[in-house]
Amino acid sequence: MRIGIDVGGTHTDAVLVDGDNVISSTKALTSADVTSGILEALESILSDSGVQEDSIEAVMLGTTQFTNAVIERKKLSEVAAIRIGLPSGAGLPPKIGWPEDISHSLGDHGYMVHGGTLYDGRPLAELDWSEINKVIADIKSKNLNTVAISAAFSPMTPQPELDVAAQLRREIPGVNITCSHSLGRLGLLERENAALLNASLLKLADSVVSAFADALRQRGLKCRFFVSQNDGTLMDAEFVRQFPALTFASGPTNSLRGACKLTGLNDAIVVDLGGTTADIGILQGGFPRESNIVIDVGGVRTNFRMPDILSLGLGGGSLVTDEGRSIGPKSVGHNLVTQGLAFGGSVLTATDLLVAAGRATVGPNQCPVTLPPQTIENGLNTIASMLNNGIEKMMPSSDPMPVILVGGGAILVADKLEVASKMYCPEHSGVANAIGAAIAQIGGEVESLVCYQDMPREQAIKKMSDEAISTAINAGANPKTIRIADIEETTISYMAEGTTRLRIKAVGDIPSQGKGAAV
Amino acid sequence: MKKLGSESLADLSIGAVFLATGGGGDPYVAELITKAALDKFGPVDLIDPDDLADDAFIVALGGVGAPTVSLELLPSINDAVDTLRAFEDRFGKKIDAVVSFEVGGANSLIPIIAAAGMSIPVVDGDGMGRALPEAQMMTYPIYGVLPTPAVTTDYRGGITEFHTKNILEFEPEIRQCALSSGGMITSAEHPMTGKQLKASIVPRTITFSVELGRILREGRGNAHKIFEPLQKLFANSIYGGIHHLYTGKVVDSSTKIIGGYDIGEATIASFDGARPPLKISIKNEYLLAKINGKTVTSVPDLITVLDYETSTPINAERLRFGQRVTVYGIGCPAFYRTEKALNFVAPRCFGFDFDYQPIESLISSASPT
Repeated sequence: MRIGIDVGGTHTDAVLVDGDNVISSTKALTSADVTSGILEALESILSDSGVQEDSIEAVMLGTTQFTNAVIERKKLSEVAAIRIGLPSGAGLPPKIGWPEDISHSLGDHGYMVHGGTLYDGRPLAELDWSEINKVIADIKSKNLNTVAISAAFSPMTPQPELDVAAQLRREIPGVNITCSHSLGRLGLLERENAALLNASLLKLADSVVSAFADALRQRGLKCRFFVSQNDGTLMDAEFVRQFPALTFASGPTNSLRGACKLTGLNDAIVVDLGGTTADIGILQGGFPRESNIVIDVGGVRTNFRMPDILSLGLGGGSLVTDEGRSIGPKSVGHNLVTQGLAFGGSVLTATDLLVAAGRATVGPNQCPVTLPPQTIENGLNTIASMLNNGIEKMMPSSDPMPVILVGGGAILVADKLEVASKMYCPEHSGVANAIGAAIAQIGGEVESLVCYQDMPREQAIKKMSDEAISTAINAGANPKTIRIADIEETTISYMAEGTTRLRIKAVGDIPSQGKGAAV
Repeated sequence: MKKLGSESLADLSIGAVFLATGGGGDPYVAELITKAALDKFGPVDLIDPDDLADDAFIVALGGVGAPTVSLELLPSINDAVDTLRAFEDRFGKKIDAVVSFEVGGANSLIPIIAAAGMSIPVVDGDGMGRALPEAQMMTYPIYGVLPTPAVTTDYRGGITEFHTKNILEFEPEIRQCALSSGGMITSAEHPMTGKQLKASIVPRTITFSVELGRILREGRGNAHKIFEPLQKLFANSIYGGIHHLYTGKVVDSSTKIIGGYDIGEATIASFDGARPPLKISIKNEYLLAKINGKTVTSVPDLITVLDYETSTPINAERLRFGQRVTVYGIGCPAFYRTEKALNFVAPRCFGFDFDYQPIESLISSASPT
């Protein structure tokens, strides 16, 4: 049996699953210290199910703590940034274009040195060790022990970053390092930003992992635990300590994966309706489709691997105005349960439209809601057209796809949406995110710029698939269960014909510990 | 003389994306480096072509290569200045002003960096008034300005000289040089006198692009509401009028790399399905728009696609199924409608079986919008 926990901004959800069956689930408010909310949720599902602690095989945690630290500029460490790329990029120092407050949080420690490679693998410049040693001496003199390293074309040729990292470790024992190539993706400035944000979270990651381990121990759970990443796969405690930023947007990802599990559909649209937003994502081969564009995290441009999510300002608590012709983006959020008409409050929300239409009942008192028929009709039409238009923007083609509704606000959808081939609103959809965490697998991903004229397509895919598989095995996946989950090809313009950005992802189950049912 | 400072860069950039008609790439990195240059050296003088002396010496400057490469091989603040200095050293000529290849995309910004670093003016205008994929399509060579002597510099300051007089030999030579020098180079080429420049330039497109960007920023919102201000702006410009071609959603969009270019087609269907769909042919830029098999706008006239909700211009590589868009067609600057220019930029130069007709005549004979 496994436990999945998803810590969101408002709710901490938890489920206990045995194979495909949900044994127990709970939805609690997220506590200020996070840990006590997690303990409460654990207590609730364990006592509710009567399951013995030692029959729990693993605990999976999805958490928004690292995203929040960046957005709130809290608990971030100062970081030295070393970019290996001169003579290119002079005048564009690390952290260029960052908002002042977060740039300040990380301190003024940007360095640029010679080195890196070109698109064809030839050196851009040789590493200059006297230059690098001077930088390291300066970092040492500032007593900094966290460093982000980036280099031109490092996703294809990581060696310059690795060489500088090794030298840093020799000179500053115990230094925390994030190399940009380990976060993937072409786009030096954005990848460097990703490495900087990740490095700034390393200390926090250490304390979050320790606190979670303590919480499990306190509750008598001696099993292993994992943290979910934003591609729907897991990382173990050691990996989170190195790559906390890979948790960014793991919440929506877990919802998508949970929707996949609950319906058995591998290719579908998933709409996660909350109190304030409707998050629309696409399941492709059972995993979220990833975004290819630059993503803004707390005002910083990054190219993190993130799920492609379209957020609409439409949720259960969204305010209804103009006789139902306009809904959202303002919302009463989680105060819906006190302020909504159906809960005895005085604010007209999207939920009230459904209650007034007789399509839903909510709240302990089930307050009747009476609205002019025209407002109800307009309102339901507005909800449907917002969702239809949003879903259309995300669809890969005009072929209708199944739509899965999850989240607490799923009641907003009264009828089949025009763009859907079929609608699903499975049982336990309110805690789909925690289920997504509970069923997550271990993955490995590689990306590279390849030229099919130099290496035939099949051969390139085979070579990189093997690399992805060994990455997944190194991350702890059971070799027997590994499969290639996704192959993405993007052609590049103005370059030699056949030049393609190839990205391959492999996934596998966590190894069974010999007891309990493997999911 | 007008000044151009870093406060105008965001507007210039967004205007440049509009005029890039789907090509030109993401100007973000170019905008950052230009801002760094203007912050360091102060605002540049933006000189009107008419204010240049007939015997002034001007060089065109810009990047040549794959925009994707400059995501990793970042530009340096010195690239642009070093290229102009190399030109002066090699050919013993003092450069009085610098001018842009094309206003569309990142190449609108590179001459500004050089002008800032050299303390010389940048000319208000460019050699395309839009974006186009090849050097021989610029107004300078079409008018008769020779591409050389020219110099390029690469990321490590490596200098290459070019001396071919034939633009059709120059284009592949310089592209090959870019590929073997890391994928992106800076080129100073098409040296010309003030007199030649005045006869060949698409004038005042930098000022125009800033103004266009300002309107798009201030009027951010539904594309129909922005049409009137845009109409006024284009009516008083070197461009022809702006025409609404279509509003609808993208129902198909696919591009393939053929011979180093992004080639493909996008189909846009009206929201209510009442009108037949609009099809746009793409070769890096949006080149040809058809309804019912009938061409409604073709290159060298401009086709631009805006997000219907926000009026943000959308690049061809970002066009995706389900996007709600508004498509505008714009008459090109008069220079491109001459027979001489059409030899280089007519639809047939891009492989389309269609003789150029101005947008005004195509629209008036098409069904009303």
